[in-house]
Amino acid sequence: MKIRILALATLAATLCTGALLAQQARKPRAVNPANAEKVSYAELDKLPDWRGIWQPNIGRVGGDQPMLLGKYKKRYEEERAKVAANPQYEIPEKTNNCEPPGMPTMMTMPYSLEFVFAPGKIVVNQEAEMMVRHIFTDGRPLPKDDEIDPNYFGYSVGHWEGDTLVVDTVGTREGQRLGEAGITNSDKLKINERIYLDKDNKNLLHLDYTFTDPQVLAQPWHRTHTFRRDRTWEILEYVCDENNRHPVDANGQTHAAF
Amino acid sequence: MRSLVARTTIAAVLGVAASLASAHHSFAMFDQARQVTIVGKVSEVQWTNPHVWVFLDGAPAGGKKERWGVEFTSKVHLTRRGFTPDMVKVGDNVEFTINPYRDGKSGGRFVAVKRASGEYYCDVGQAAQVFCQGGKK
Repeated sequence: MKIRILALATLAATLCTGALLAQQARKPRAVNPANAEKVSYAELDKLPDWRGIWQPNIGRVGGDQPMLLGKYKKRYEEERAKVAANPQYEIPEKTNNCEPPGMPTMMTMPYSLEFVFAPGKIVVNQEAEMMVRHIFTDGRPLPKDDEIDPNYFGYSVGHWEGDTLVVDTVGTREGQRLGEAGITNSDKLKINERIYLDKDNKNLLHLDYTFTDPQVLAQPWHRTHTFRRDRTWEILEYVCDENNRHPVDANGQTHAAF
Repeated sequence: MRSLVARTTIAAVLGVAASLASAHHSFAMFDQARQVTIVGKVSEVQWTNPHVWVFLDGAPAGGKKERWGVEFTSKVHLTRRGFTPDMVKVGDNVEFTINPYRDGKSGGRFVAVKRASGEYYCDVGQAAQVFCQGGKK
């Protein structure tokens, strides 16, 4: 009996200490305007009509050439040489095996995009691999360098300049695809996007990228993409792990599994 | 004649979409310069992402009968292009034209299928369009 009471007391003490430590670690958190008790949905009426889904014009990429630096240039050249020498070679990327590519590739997959406007935030749904991205438009700042925990999609804040959505993103994980297979980003990547409807064709959406990465690029790299609107479809389900029979190994060799 | 009309119409509809890109792997493992036609019977249909698969027991001209796997694009793209899960059914006699694996495995990437009804379903892309619009050898 005595032993049991002692054990219970010890357990209680342990739990209390744990709770206390956890409390000490938590800082008070601000409520951002997007999550306030009251928001103005009327604000959304002023935004341009981006309804429907947007299908990429694949292969029609504009912009300039990347001025790659150091090891990033070396790797790109090596990978291109391997592709040229072996038609069966596939540049190894995490996404080969169904891991989502995150930013910036998420926006330019060969699948459809959807923009959902809410007060203070825009949610971007990418059909491929069911990716979701949040762009905060409630005036909050980007996280400071020492606050960033790098992740697939980074941290994005946006604002409207007329009918153009301007988005800045930091904090994407090092080693994701940057622009094309064989080029990856460092943890210093900054992405700027300008997204707007074509002035002559309201069913054409432009995405102008500027990638700035002092470790990878000698100068900012611009890439432009366009998308066609389809109002007749919704985003469809796409679970990449459902039935992937083409795993790619670290040497770029594809293994057909059936 | 009916089959010719059907394949021309389907080809025209599907030809609008030009994407051959995949979301998660390239098509480097398939020899896109070659087309092989497999005649056989459908044994399994997997209407799934990231790729739809059809398996058949069949053989190319002069080859021995075995199990072949045909990879399509995703369920998402096929749905938008008007394909349905019953485009071919288990037990159907079919002719699948594919870009074969480079390594000789008995399978490949979908180019076109001639169904039991004589109608064709065709992939997008220039090679498939040429095949389906009568350029078939």
